[in-house]
Amino acid sequence: MLEDIKSEITDINVAEASYPERGYHLAIEARKENLLRVIKFFDDKGFYLEDLCCVDYADYLELVYFFNNHTELFRIKTTIKLTPDKPSAPTISNIYTMAHWYEREIHEFFGVYFENHPNLTYLFLHDGIDSYPLRKNRVPVSEDDKRLLSFPIPHEEEDTFSVNLGPQHPSTHGVLRVILKLDGEYILSADPVLGYLHRMHEKMAENRSYAQFLPNPARMDYLASLNFNLAHVAAVERLCAIAVPERAQYVRTITCELNRIASHIFWLGAFLGDLGGLTPFLYGFDDRENILDILEGITGSRLTYCYFRFGGLYNDVDDNFMDATRAFVKRMWKRLPMYEKLVTKNVIFINRVEDVGILERDKVRRFGCSGPVIRGTGMPFDMRKVEPYAAYGDMDFEIPVGENGDILDRYMVRMREIETSLRIISAALEKLPAGPFNAEKVPKKLKPPKGDAYHVVESPRGQLGVYIVSDESDTPYRMRWRVPSYSNLMTFPHLAQGTLIADAIAILGSLDLIIPEIDR
Amino acid sequence: MGKRSLYLETKDPIIKFALVEKVLDLARANSLWPLGFGLACCAIEMMSTAMARFDIDRFGAGLFRATPRQADLMIVSGTVTKKMAPTLVTLYEQMPSPKWVIAMGNCAISGGPFVFEGQYNVVEGVDLLVPVDVYIPGCPPRPEGLLEGLMKLEEKITGTRRFPVPQAKW
Repeated sequence: MLEDIKSEITDINVAEASYPERGYHLAIEARKENLLRVIKFFDDKGFYLEDLCCVDYADYLELVYFFNNHTELFRIKTTIKLTPDKPSAPTISNIYTMAHWYEREIHEFFGVYFENHPNLTYLFLHDGIDSYPLRKNRVPVSEDDKRLLSFPIPHEEEDTFSVNLGPQHPSTHGVLRVILKLDGEYILSADPVLGYLHRMHEKMAENRSYAQFLPNPARMDYLASLNFNLAHVAAVERLCAIAVPERAQYVRTITCELNRIASHIFWLGAFLGDLGGLTPFLYGFDDRENILDILEGITGSRLTYCYFRFGGLYNDVDDNFMDATRAFVKRMWKRLPMYEKLVTKNVIFINRVEDVGILERDKVRRFGCSGPVIRGTGMPFDMRKVEPYAAYGDMDFEIPVGENGDILDRYMVRMREIETSLRIISAALEKLPAGPFNAEKVPKKLKPPKGDAYHVVESPRGQLGVYIVSDESDTPYRMRWRVPSYSNLMTFPHLAQGTLIADAIAILGSLDLIIPEIDR
Repeated sequence: MGKRSLYLETKDPIIKFALVEKVLDLARANSLWPLGFGLACCAIEMMSTAMARFDIDRFGAGLFRATPRQADLMIVSGTVTKKMAPTLVTLYEQMPSPKWVIAMGNCAISGGPFVFEGQYNVVEGVDLLVPVDVYIPGCPPRPEGLLEGLMKLEEKITGTRRFPVPQAKW
């Protein structure tokens, strides 16, 4: 790979990076002029764009592109430097569809202008913003940008009309707004508007110490708090080179899988609620409350857990936890056939979801999808397998995949993932080693060495990445969250085009969106 | 702009029917229809409250309406951002009087954990936008907390408390 890049593109700096310390294998320094050539090279090689973010180093801005491979882990960091006043870069949204929204985000938060971008308008922020929020020095929003950053006004033409789905709508699972352009009952185009729950997590991270940021990830994705908690903690551990004891790794695995089951059960209820069946919601919450009881016993909270600490856990698990978890696994195995009877074999359900919202396998790479959305298309792409973290390396499990990429496949993948999680929990409980649950000598105030690190975990919704840049102080210089729902939602305009409203609701539900996670 | 000057005044009705009003209040207090309006994390706890274990239906408040025109209780469950604020006010205005608002969770009370120097996107308390009747602290509040808030609201509407205050057992 290294030779390939060097022979193909000569005018770039390529440096190998140590994967355990940094989380990526190669660091490439490109320039604005040859960026498109580098990107095209990665596209030809079948890489997908993992993340695109910006870091403000005061005297220059840096755009960071992370590329990865679906089949074999090989993460490449590509950077280009921009001048701080009137920064501009070429758009790559014509190559990677996913970059479309990521570039809009960078434009809003850093004021980077992307040349030839098809629609560089407002996505997150409200009208009254007068300076770019994530810039280190105060940079006022230029008048040109203010015109772009205004509320979208739907244009109506003859024979068509616009409908606002949300921000207050029972089926958008929060405060997502989608502007639908309709011709009768058929959707001509769908245009999501985000930012109704933008809570400035990335800005907050720059304002407080590493430990003070611990409660925040749980509020980003409240249904998978532990997975988000783990991503943050593991990224900081990688940055500071803290070794975590094995017992802690196993407990992390068990609790994360419990959280995954809780999230999938909640999704099941909410999704079927969207389709009009409210009964599974009641059944699902019955099981979910059991998980919440178990996790409450060790973490102390019902929803927004903050259980992992740098180098280990908040406290050790006890026999109560072990017994309760075993009992829950036993109970859940008995409950799954009931869901099968109630939902999976229900003819009304099958008619609603089969062959609806088909996502083609060759599209997912450019959209940067992950999680059950990509596995539904038949690609066995799971970060727990591709890039094992915590104790997943010791676990033997299969990745459930679908075939067609329709809603039914996404549903089946999630239901079978519950089974996978139950198996992982059972195996991890058997193997749970004794020993300390916290690393020794972790300083109270962390001051990581200068540099950056990337860490990825598999949240119930897909690939979750954390990129931290440290400047040797006790606060992160920049913390970037790559969230799965953001990329997954990007497929919605594509999937909803030409469908009926009722089908679009089903598609939206099948993507399993968590809005605070998208908005951050 | 004064800190507490933004919210709308709800006026008492011009004509009042002393005894009838009391009976009506009793009816209202026992059949509050909340607006199905989830904002953030607290919305999940609000749903938990509506589900089997906590069962908000026992107190007549389980009929979550998807449209504000059929609701008389707005449970603000989560962070209100500046982008969401106009929508929230519109929804409040669309609800028919008499109407009540519960601020659920620290975010709705004061902005909660999202208030820091230089914050640019969070409304620091929903009471800056609409009048709030009951505040429920917590991040997020437990379902029992929401039920207690509902009791408090009933007490505010009727003047008497339906259930005794639970005593601590330790």
